[in-house]
Amino acid sequence: MSVRNGENERMQREELEQVQLERLQSTLNRAYKNVTFYKKQFDEHGIHPGAVSSVQDIAALPFTTRKDLGDNYPYGLFAVPLRDIVRISPSSGTTLKPVVIGYTKGDLKVRDTITARFLEAGGVTEADIVQICLNPGLSGWGRALKEGAEYIGASVMPMSNMSTKKQLMAMEDYKTSALLTTPSYALHILDVMEAIAMDKNRLALKAIIVAGETLTEEGRKTLRTALGAAVTAGYGPSDVTGPGVAFECGGDSGLHVSEDHFVLEIVDPQTGRPCPQGQQGEVVLTTLTAKAFPLIRFRTGDMACAITAPCSCGRTFFRISPITGHTGEILTIRGVKAHPSQIAQMLEAQTPSGVTPPRFLVHVFKESHLDMIEVWLEMTGSLFSDEVKEVEATLMKLRKQMFQTLGLEVTIKMMEAATLDRFGLPSGGVVDDR
Amino acid sequence: MLRIKNLHTYYGRIKALENVSIHVRRGEIVSLIGANGAGKTTMLNTISGLLPAAKGDIYFHDKKLNGRQAEKIVGAGISQVPQGRQIFGPLTVLENLQLGAYLRYKNKETDAIEEDLAWIFKLFPRLKERIKQIAGTLSGGEQQMLAIGRALMARPKLLLLDEPSMGLAPLIVKDIMNTISALRENGMTILIVEQNARASLKISDRGYVLETGRVILQGSSEDLLNDGDVKRAYLGKDYKTFCEGREKV
Repeated sequence: MSVRNGENERMQREELEQVQLERLQSTLNRAYKNVTFYKKQFDEHGIHPGAVSSVQDIAALPFTTRKDLGDNYPYGLFAVPLRDIVRISPSSGTTLKPVVIGYTKGDLKVRDTITARFLEAGGVTEADIVQICLNPGLSGWGRALKEGAEYIGASVMPMSNMSTKKQLMAMEDYKTSALLTTPSYALHILDVMEAIAMDKNRLALKAIIVAGETLTEEGRKTLRTALGAAVTAGYGPSDVTGPGVAFECGGDSGLHVSEDHFVLEIVDPQTGRPCPQGQQGEVVLTTLTAKAFPLIRFRTGDMACAITAPCSCGRTFFRISPITGHTGEILTIRGVKAHPSQIAQMLEAQTPSGVTPPRFLVHVFKESHLDMIEVWLEMTGSLFSDEVKEVEATLMKLRKQMFQTLGLEVTIKMMEAATLDRFGLPSGGVVDDR
Repeated sequence: MLRIKNLHTYYGRIKALENVSIHVRRGEIVSLIGANGAGKTTMLNTISGLLPAAKGDIYFHDKKLNGRQAEKIVGAGISQVPQGRQIFGPLTVLENLQLGAYLRYKNKETDAIEEDLAWIFKLFPRLKERIKQIAGTLSGGEQQMLAIGRALMARPKLLLLDEPSMGLAPLIVKDIMNTISALRENGMTILIVEQNARASLKISDRGYVLETGRVILQGSSEDLLNDGDVKRAYLGKDYKTFCEGREKV
């Protein structure tokens, strides 16, 4: 089955650039007209959208950061009146306030075609039985993947909070042929299969499609060998877009950027200038078809490099390398973006006013291939009392709040000040043992 | 087929078009919609060479058109059906059609012209019935058919239609739109400018929305017909009652 805008994937570069320019210009005109934030940004930089006469001119426009998204919570960046919004989709964001993304009916349709394109490149067809396994922090993606797979016409089992064993049972009984998940969860499934002595021949998997984290070549090989399925990856910043901004095609290495819907730039994270060809830099995204929530030069915090050589698959969209890291302190935990400042703000809110909140470090490590996050909290009188009961209540409250804000289970460990000092990191520092 | 990049057009010092980029693929019907004064007619007149482009590029089959004279542009394969028909009232239907092939008569393509006349009479049987009638005495719908027929006599590859539904009764509008669809079935590529957004989007593949000389929206006709802004501004759907109460959230 061909996806409605499938022909775009093989468009001649000249035609693609025309389409990009037209969509970029109308996006800028609309954002300037309808979103106060963008109008102010452009005016302050002395740039008028009418001055953008090529896709490359985009480099003169100001960036949009995650802080801007937080500052404009909830509806400040919407470019259409609320009455045109049919879906309000919050994601944890990387500030204390979540990011709220709005979709018009048309936006959802566009997202479906983008997601379907990504899934089709990974081998999903209308004959497939698709199972989606994601953690609650990625529930927005869970919906996007479900709708994208349904758009193709596949039979879809949406994400649920079943245990891995139950997921495996469903996978076996329902004869799941395509698994959509994160790389770490796919590897975790292997561990569980081993623990319950489940043979791969009991599963009917033919495709594993992953997003949210970088799929290493080693991980791909392990999964392919252990499950006998094709493994392909997709990319998207989970807090602001769907998972199919870029996707692997099963041809040459790297991920094709859906260039008819996004302009993807690679910039030097320090200077903000475009990186020379092939050099690693920060991924900056501009939406070309989003009506309700246009993003102009959004700094994703993800690091990658561009691959401009043509791909053997025949698609004309350029490719990016897998994400090789992140700028600053943005953490990606099981695909969910988080920032230590979110924890700092939660602690501050818990501490009585006028008292310094306790110091903390964020410890990230892997357990059975899954990212785990621990907060090491300093034992001080500012937050904790001598009563064990009260301490436990406070910890419980914090854990709950962190789960609600980040969509991740967080373990909190109490530490002596001297133990924290040993790491030589400021409060909010990250100890990454992955 | 037609590719326009960053077009700027002025009337004296008044900017009528600012940085407009559009394209039309072979065999497509594309609509330009927008309110009065948005720049729709300016756009067509700039393409057909009646107005000079201050900046930007117009490519037709990869050849640059800007700066060429209007008749050269007709020769290249672009014919415009102007707003308000502008047929030659005192002349007969046949004479009007023959004038449309003026450049081709000069090239002595007489046989081909006869063939095209027959084709146009097949397309618009009404014109054949009124072949000797003075054009000024035709009804509005017939005059529109004549204007389209006259443009077709130049054997264009791309037809520019400026407000073909203007001043016509709804039933006649439907007729004209059906004829335009039929033209596309015959391989014609069409760029149509309309205030009657619904009628033109219905027969189009894609559309662009112009507002004060800028493109603010573009997409498939289906998407535009369902778009909130387009519905409110150009399709006349009344949202007021529905919106009240929701705005306050």
